Amino acid sequence: MTALIETTGVSKSYGDFVALDDVTLSIAEGELVSIVGPNGAGKTTLVNVLTGLLKPTAGVVRFKGEDIAGIGPVRLAHRGMARAFQLVHIFPAMTVGETIAVAVISQTHKSFRLFAAAAKDEAVRERVREVAAIFGLDTKLERQSRLLSQGEKKLLDIASAFALSPEVILLDEPTSGVSSGDKHGIMRGVVDAAKRAGVKAIILVEHDMDLVAEYSSRIVALQGGRVLADRPPAEFFSDPEIIAAIVGKMVGKLAKGA
Amino acid sequence: MTAFFDILLGGVFHAAVLFLVAAGLQLVFGVQKIVNLACGSFYALGAYFGITSVNWAVSAGVPPSLFLLVLLASGLLLGLIGPAIELLLRTVYDRDEAFQLLLTFALVLMFQDVLRYFWGATPQTLGNYAMEYGKLSVGDLQVPTYNILVILASILIAFGIGAFLQRTRYGRILRATAENREMSQALGVNVRWMYTTVFTLGTVLGTVGGAMVVPTAAASLDMPVELVVEAFAVVVIGGLGSMRGALIGALIVGLMRAAAISWWAEIEMLAIYLVVIAVLIVRPAGIFGKPIE
Amino acid sequence: MRIAALVVAIVVLAAVPKFAQPYYVTLVLPALAYSIALLGFNLLFGYTGLLSFGHALFVAIGAYGAAVASSKLGIKSFELVLLLSGLAAVVVAIPVALLSVRYVRIFFGILTLAFGMLFHSFLFKFYNITGGDTGIRVLRPTLLGEAYADLDKTTFLIGPFYYYCLALLVVLGIAMWRIVRSPFGMHLRAIRENPRKAEYLGVRVRFFRLVAFLISAFYCAIGGVILAVNTGQADPELAYWTHSGELVFMTVLGGFASFLGPIVGAFAFIFLKSELMGATQYWRFWLGAILVLIVVLFPRGLVGLGQDLWNKVRRK
Repeated sequence: MTALIETTGVSKSYGDFVALDDVTLSIAEGELVSIVGPNGAGKTTLVNVLTGLLKPTAGVVRFKGEDIAGIGPVRLAHRGMARAFQLVHIFPAMTVGETIAVAVISQTHKSFRLFAAAAKDEAVRERVREVAAIFGLDTKLERQSRLLSQGEKKLLDIASAFALSPEVILLDEPTSGVSSGDKHGIMRGVVDAAKRAGVKAIILVEHDMDLVAEYSSRIVALQGGRVLADRPPAEFFSDPEIIAAIVGKMVGKLAKGA
Repeated sequence: MTAFFDILLGGVFHAAVLFLVAAGLQLVFGVQKIVNLACGSFYALGAYFGITSVNWAVSAGVPPSLFLLVLLASGLLLGLIGPAIELLLRTVYDRDEAFQLLLTFALVLMFQDVLRYFWGATPQTLGNYAMEYGKLSVGDLQVPTYNILVILASILIAFGIGAFLQRTRYGRILRATAENREMSQALGVNVRWMYTTVFTLGTVLGTVGGAMVVPTAAASLDMPVELVVEAFAVVVIGGLGSMRGALIGALIVGLMRAAAISWWAEIEMLAIYLVVIAVLIVRPAGIFGKPIE
Repeated sequence: MRIAALVVAIVVLAAVPKFAQPYYVTLVLPALAYSIALLGFNLLFGYTGLLSFGHALFVAIGAYGAAVASSKLGIKSFELVLLLSGLAAVVVAIPVALLSVRYVRIFFGILTLAFGMLFHSFLFKFYNITGGDTGIRVLRPTLLGEAYADLDKTTFLIGPFYYYCLALLVVLGIAMWRIVRSPFGMHLRAIRENPRKAEYLGVRVRFFRLVAFLISAFYCAIGGVILAVNTGQADPELAYWTHSGELVFMTVLGGFASFLGPIVGAFAFIFLKSELMGATQYWRFWLGAILVLIVVLFPRGLVGLGQDLWNKVRRK
């Protein structure tokens, strides 16, 4: 399997502090890889390197074979990777429909149309409706984002990332702030939508081990900036050392065995 | 040589006064994150009121040799307007920066006519008081003692502020609040009271600065709007929010201006704006400011 | 319904020279000029979220462009003057914008203020070129080739010139309306709301801000040309930072969150200022007080106030 996105020997230090130490991992088409680990293990740093936000101090990070070190969010989006954040990011004064439209327009390279009416573009409207429907937001297209509930804002954030038709999507704790009853529903919806939308791989950063166990094709555990384990869920959860090192330190229930 | 020394002295004197106003700006920005466009108005108010106070004092029998004290006192007295204005600014603390700027701009407009109402449109001067303290002889050079006194006073105030911020408990709390308002509040600091105090202190620095300058320059209605640009130049070069920045920035601007006036009058303010723009491009945080964005 | 109201407004404005005293008509001309300038200014402020305290710079370029073109280059055609001044503003705006859009909020404001004052200083000090504090004269241009030589200055201004400028406002207004409603405009709003998220959605934030800046400079220059032809003079005070402050004042007075707000603000401000100047020598004080009221009580400006009142009436 050729890797869609991969890091080779990536390290990141800030002066004396080593945030990432020789991290090598690769994610191929069709995979949903979860990155887990306690706070401070380097998840955020790794994610920032994977999404071209941070340049590693050593090592290489590639997306579709090309070096993406430090290319920044704009170029990343145009190359085909999208990211949804843990802390909800919305456009408060814009409606749900407009928010998704921003992504669609940027992705279809219509941004520089100065005189065409955005609201009248049927292709854009259709796509907006399509994406919104996946997340149950199609009835709320006219609502201002700031008036949505916290969970809805989260969904909108993910939906707008989806609207970029990315090949890889990185979800940063997508279900945090969502009530536990809905978590599975949302996760399933997102994974299904991703398949239908042509997303080739998902990177998931999660604390909820239930979700991780259920949906991952592989789990990468970080500790102290190093990769502690990189296994499919069955192996991951049946290894007592791994469980002791990682799972015990995290909030959330222990996953049941394979 | 004399010419050079004159420029140096003129520059440092101007810097001393500028520092006071800039320090006021920095304090208010540091703690309340507001850029006060009306700092020039306070300065002008201090200048006009200083003239009135000295004239009144002397006619009431106060010996002319005490005029510097009268100026200082009048500047301090004006600090009383600080709390009132801060109350007004309170309405926009939590709002977009644009509104904060606009509110202080509104104050500039209003102050313009307040000054005009009380003192009229013709520039006012303090006559010959600058020579009251005579001149000092340093080798071949003659230096007005007044200018030296002001420079010394400014240095003293600079040290005073520095000591206050670094050494006293209140100063530390102030710096902490500047870093993180919520945390400070959570720790029980009476932030409201602090804001009032800081703003008043900032106001006083401006009014005292204006009072100090009147023996050597006329108080005019152009002062408020002209000073803002210089004060901004100082805080940009020195770094927004930094006291040391106010000091170094004031020196740079003061000396540049003095040099420009002597050598090439046309480029006077132009040179300063160019430096401001250059600093904003090369090192937007200024010399001592914290990096932004 | 809104379009009907707009048509009525345009008809009323067109009727003004016929029915109102010349004095009032000469007030409407600057209001038209500022309306155009503020439409541009608000693209940058209201829609993109960047507050410039130096946009009077571009108004001044418009005015000086008109002055230099007519007095020194002998260009008579108003169309050509508009084009050249607008172009000059865009050319100057390029380096200013390139430097300024790297920063936001207060630094953007201070940087633009510095550029504005830099230009003012230049106008003031280099009096051999710029006429110093007296400025440069602006000669009457020809409108669509027609010189109207038989009309005296006032008749020209409140006659053909007035209608020309009203038409300009309508045309430029429609253009701005389409810009604001376009995908480009939508991206600007996204940038205003959350620049970081906009980046993650693939929006090139700095470039869009730059383009918005250039468009706003163009509009401000057009306004400056009209102002200069109206007064017959281009003077350096047009570039002073307090004039930039007035631009912001007018925009917020009308309402920066609405498309027509700036136009309402321009008219309201010009008339307010005129009435106050006639009533007292302390008009700046009262203008300042009104600004305080707006900022504290009516931040959405006159348009916002109108909308609130309309909603209240509708509910009853």
